Amino acid sequence: MTRLRLMFCRLLALCAICALPAVAHKASDSYLVLNVKGQQITGQWDIALRDIDFAIGLDANSDGEITWGEVRARHTNISAWALGRLNVQRGGDCTLQVAEHLVDTHTDGAYAVLRLTGTCPSGTQALAVNYRLLFEIDQLHRGLLRLDLDGVSHSTVLAPDTGVLTIKAGETSRLAQFGQYLVEGIWHIWIGFDHILFLLALLLPAVLVHAVTLGGTRRWKGVVSFRVALTEVLWVVTAFTVAHSITLTLAALQIIELPSRVVESAIAASVVLAAANNLWPVVERRRWLVAFSFGLIHGFGFASVLTELGLPKDALVLSLLGFNLGVETGQLAIVAVFLPVAYLLRNTALYRKGLFFGGSFLTMLVALVWLAERAFNLKLISV
Amino acid sequence: MTVFFKIFAALACLWACLLPSAQAAPRLPTDPTEVLERLPIRPGDTTARELAALGAAVTLAARDTPNNPQPATQLAERYYELAIARGDPRYIGYADAVMATFTQSSAPAALVVRGQLKQYRHDFDGALADFAAALNADPAFASAHAWRGAIYKVQANYPAAKAECDALQKLDRATLYAGCIGLATAYSGQLETGFATLQRALDQTQDAGNRLWLLTRLGEVAAWRGKPEQAEKYYRAALALGIDDGYLLAAWSDFLLDQKRPAEVVKALANWEASDGLLLRLALAETVLKLPAAKAHVQALADRFAAAKVRGDTTHRAEEARFQLHLGGNAADALTIAAANYQVQREPRDARPLLEAAIAARNPAAAQPVRDWLKSSGFEDAHLRQLVEASAAPPLSAPKPEAKP
Repeated sequence: MTRLRLMFCRLLALCAICALPAVAHKASDSYLVLNVKGQQITGQWDIALRDIDFAIGLDANSDGEITWGEVRARHTNISAWALGRLNVQRGGDCTLQVAEHLVDTHTDGAYAVLRLTGTCPSGTQALAVNYRLLFEIDQLHRGLLRLDLDGVSHSTVLAPDTGVLTIKAGETSRLAQFGQYLVEGIWHIWIGFDHILFLLALLLPAVLVHAVTLGGTRRWKGVVSFRVALTEVLWVVTAFTVAHSITLTLAALQIIELPSRVVESAIAASVVLAAANNLWPVVERRRWLVAFSFGLIHGFGFASVLTELGLPKDALVLSLLGFNLGVETGQLAIVAVFLPVAYLLRNTALYRKGLFFGGSFLTMLVALVWLAERAFNLKLISV
Repeated sequence: MTVFFKIFAALACLWACLLPSAQAAPRLPTDPTEVLERLPIRPGDTTARELAALGAAVTLAARDTPNNPQPATQLAERYYELAIARGDPRYIGYADAVMATFTQSSAPAALVVRGQLKQYRHDFDGALADFAAALNADPAFASAHAWRGAIYKVQANYPAAKAECDALQKLDRATLYAGCIGLATAYSGQLETGFATLQRALDQTQDAGNRLWLLTRLGEVAAWRGKPEQAEKYYRAALALGIDDGYLLAAWSDFLLDQKRPAEVVKALANWEASDGLLLRLALAETVLKLPAAKAHVQALADRFAAAKVRGDTTHRAEEARFQLHLGGNAADALTIAAANYQVQREPRDARPLLEAAIAARNPAAAQPVRDWLKSSGFEDAHLRQLVEASAAPPLSAPKPEAKP
């Protein structure tokens, strides 16, 4: 999966290749990410190889270089050393284990990455973190902690004088929680390419009119006024929004549940149809109806994301509202960028032939592949 | 068909690149001989053996004479020197940890080392307290006076600095005295006298470390006096000593940048990207020369300042202000950072980013502390005086609309 991505990127050199930066000098940090959901802990701990070497020695052959083989040979010791200096409690000591050892790079060099899993005696009490890594040999070391406790994020810096960090469950304010879900909503529409392509497929013709020409044939022309285009866009986006809000809420509250394979395939099909409609116009005047009816299906797609994120039971409505508004905001941002550009280009051949026809054609093809993938559980282009 | 595939792949690549996990991610290496990290000190070399010996002495003392801070002090001093020479803050952390058992010690040497470590982190009040305590225990501890003099100069408290210099004179420490009073004089409105004092001190000392310090300062003062050829002579003499010193390289690069010689900066700093301050100067030079490496270096700097912000490290604010102003194009942020820095450090190199940011952000009021300092100190650098005047000018008013015919 990663190889496929890299191959495409190299093929076209479109992606900015992060030139390997020079290793920086900074004081020592470790990056600790903990996701605590009820009694389950998952996480990741990045510790600089240089720091591990200073503490317990890694350079077995004393040549000044640390190789993967040398690190691998010390994995058990590294786990024991690190976990012996991190204590997490929730209703009692949580058991933590290193599930996997990887490596990564940060600004000041190579790091060992410890993938963590664990269980705690309680799933509802406050969480206590006692972090003591490296403090006895490096007082400038800091643990940069990103904690997600039952859906609420906390970021903090653990220093020698922090002692035991205690976080109560559900401590963050309502506003912060709302804000969190708002951001998640925006993010998930922006990475929801199927939703975006569906919306764009319906919006591409908004600045065009399929009119009868003097010769009697029908062809696409730019609309006469911005207001016409804007009205069309508003109808379509509002209909899409209302529809997916309804089903998102119903599904998130588990009032209606549909199997995800059906939902995802239907979403792909909706994109195919919306794009195809641009190439062979069937629905021209009531695109908002198309937006509404297919929007109902897209809502179920968002709901699955929300289920993954987890809805806090004590702030269900607020979080749902936040997520919905986030999706709306993200959509509006896309439309705000798209509409002026499309309107300005509407009379050009670039728009009619390139973006409109070409774009719709491509969208249709991509969506057909998605449909095949999702209906038959294949992986062709998706990652 | 190939065109179609390319467009297809372009879309795929676009998704891939936009997805969050497209950044450098944790990976499982496959080759056991792959070198992941090069250690800064090779186990065999002199420094490593020195540190090992000092470390062994500390362990022994912890066992046999737990109240004796001497071995720990020596090891901490050695770590401190390494931190300064290499621009690597981890050594300060190690030194701190070594001295952690002696936080209550009243031995002057231990107090002075703790003061040095505190001033590195810009805890100037804490450092001054430690140096004062050291002098209480041993009034003849010259380096405590020298350090206090240095801190007072950073805080632009020149009378207090001069008092420390006088104390050094009374202790017959001619070179320390000359260095102390020379710079204090230069900062407080007498560049020529200060220069002469520093020159005399240079003539009287053969110690390489002292000569490095004096030659660097003489270069700075000569530049402030508006004598670039003389300044270059001193900087080159300092570089010729062959001692790695981040401060010298920073001063030399700033001089070259002011003299509009960015190509020489690129050459001088080619291997010093690890130090944030030197990477800044390198990026500034590369940006002026429009070199391709500039982009990656600017991004690296942004990452490093962001990382420092996360851990609450405020020791590089002067550099960060310059970064935001000249490379980030963000005068407002630059001004905030420069102003925050100036509250703690007030040397001429801290005044300049504040002035430049205030001018760029059209906020004369923000540069008032520098104008006050210039008035009370009488500092004579012509370029800085010009900047001060420019910063006091009111923002240009909007041009009046032309009268319609």
